[in-house]
Amino acid sequence: MSQRIINHPVLGKLDESQTITFTFNDVEYSALQNESIAAALLANGIRTLRHHEESGSPRGIYCNIGHCFECRVTVDGVQGERACLTPLTQGMKVVSGGKLQTDVRDWRANHGK
Amino acid sequence: MENKTIIIGAGPAGLTAAITIASRGHSVVVIDEYMKPGGRLLGQLYEEPNGNWWNGIVESDKLHQQAKKLGVDIKLHTPVSNIEVQDGIWSVHTDVEIHETTHLLLATGAAENPLPIKGWTLPGVMSVGAAQVMTNVHRVKPGERGVIIGVNVLSSAIAMELKMADIDIACITLPVSNTVNEKFGQPLEVMNSLLHVSHMAPSAFIKMGSKLMKNDFFKQLGITFFPKNGVKMWDIPIMLRKAVTEIIGDGQVEGVKISTINPAGEVIPGTEEIIGADFVCIAGGLYPLAELAAVAGCPFYHIEELGGYVPLHNERMESTLPGLYVAGNITGIEGAKVAMCQGQTAGLSIANNLENGILEKELVSSIQHTEHTRENAYIQFHPEIAHGKDKLKLYWDEYNAAVTK
Amino acid sequence: MSEKDIIICRCEEVTYSELKETARKFQCTPRELKLRTRAGMGYCGGRTCRNAVDSIALESTERNESQISLKYQPPIRPVSFGKLGEVIE
Repeated sequence: MSQRIINHPVLGKLDESQTITFTFNDVEYSALQNESIAAALLANGIRTLRHHEESGSPRGIYCNIGHCFECRVTVDGVQGERACLTPLTQGMKVVSGGKLQTDVRDWRANHGK
Repeated sequence: MENKTIIIGAGPAGLTAAITIASRGHSVVVIDEYMKPGGRLLGQLYEEPNGNWWNGIVESDKLHQQAKKLGVDIKLHTPVSNIEVQDGIWSVHTDVEIHETTHLLLATGAAENPLPIKGWTLPGVMSVGAAQVMTNVHRVKPGERGVIIGVNVLSSAIAMELKMADIDIACITLPVSNTVNEKFGQPLEVMNSLLHVSHMAPSAFIKMGSKLMKNDFFKQLGITFFPKNGVKMWDIPIMLRKAVTEIIGDGQVEGVKISTINPAGEVIPGTEEIIGADFVCIAGGLYPLAELAAVAGCPFYHIEELGGYVPLHNERMESTLPGLYVAGNITGIEGAKVAMCQGQTAGLSIANNLENGILEKELVSSIQHTEHTRENAYIQFHPEIAHGKDKLKLYWDEYNAAVTK
Repeated sequence: MSEKDIIICRCEEVTYSELKETARKFQCTPRELKLRTRAGMGYCGGRTCRNAVDSIALESTERNESQISLKYQPPIRPVSFGKLGEVIE
């Protein structure tokens, strides 16, 4: 089901004429040309944009205007791009970040340090 | 080298300054990391007492078109990572290049304060400003049903905007009180802070044919103590005697745990219930986003009425550093109309300095116009804003007296 | 640390109890609290949690009204090494 607000009592009707496709973690989705990655993913029902590097806890958009960096994803190979400020273009490849290894911490935990 | 004035921030203050400077025939570059011009103005949507709609998208577009017509160079999607000054020349570092100028205006706006609550890192929890932008600018629903945590002027205005987009708001309520959320979690404190926005109670929804408010929300506030289940404003329950203790969900938001609180904000045991929701908004208010002024070395003062630490500046929007100006919410949290006035003042200040002081009269009248706009502002973020500005003036005089000694 | 504890710094996952405990033990300024716990030292540069960290430290220390409690340092947005090292001809 689409989450888009097509008709708005004051802002009018949404222009949905220009659509594109992009991929998020290798799955193809459709979006409106030039909308933000975050908006397009939410419109496709996707809230989780990455997992915290250490704990692996899921994260989504928080501030939506580039301040919090919670929505950072890899876009066409470039890491750390903010999904909330990056406009989508045809064929863009978006990949989410995941938990990284924490060898030192694990070693400490296992050795009672 | 052509000396282009550089403005960082394409919100109402930055764009108005750009228009002011460009219309005097000077060249201007505006840099912003967002993908559209307008800043926080983009998301704003409310009905004014005279029945006109303040539509942030339309207002932003007006400013943008005017700036474009005057030949202002607007660089969007361009984050600024640092500014430095050497021999009177400011360098502005962006991802792509370094820009140089003798006149630099910082109009970087404000950032949102969080109200940290258990579970607030779950996907589906967002700042109230985030929900506003998603709804009005991107036209995507933040969810089907939301809970707004934090009762204040910003959250009630945005709650109404969400409602207009047919998004269900389960309630607006308080965060559980702790050291960080303190002011926001105490019913009496919150109630007092709301009294100065009572004029916002008559709602556009009445005219739009929605259910009429049965009781005047604010009158009720004044007469009785707040009913446990809240009262409704714009058909949204506002619950000042309840607080969210935890946001719950498996992998993303599924609801909140909410309990009844006493007037001091303490949870009454055994009152917990769960409200289902697929998104949660956190409304902890705004603070001036002044990081570039800080790295440049501006002196700062903490002024509660202005929303936090602000870079020292005078009424002409000049900082203490030569060639560096400030305007908009970086100078204190106020509405877009005040920001536009400040942008005009900063623009005139810059043009005046470029034109050997021939714009003194215009400058003085622009400063007066700002004060007038402040006094008549529809939304005031802090009731004592004028007092905060007076404090700043004192700090400015003190600072300059010490420097010239 | 209990998993259920409230996170204050989202980037570094520093919790409320960790900050409260550190502030109680050392009676320290916001800056010292940040250095001891890493709260505010993550990817976002402390933009989200700085006032929260302040308010915990300011329970036991006085606010300095004329100095930002948690200093800002350039770059205020992350810059990749590739871009930093780039030579513009």
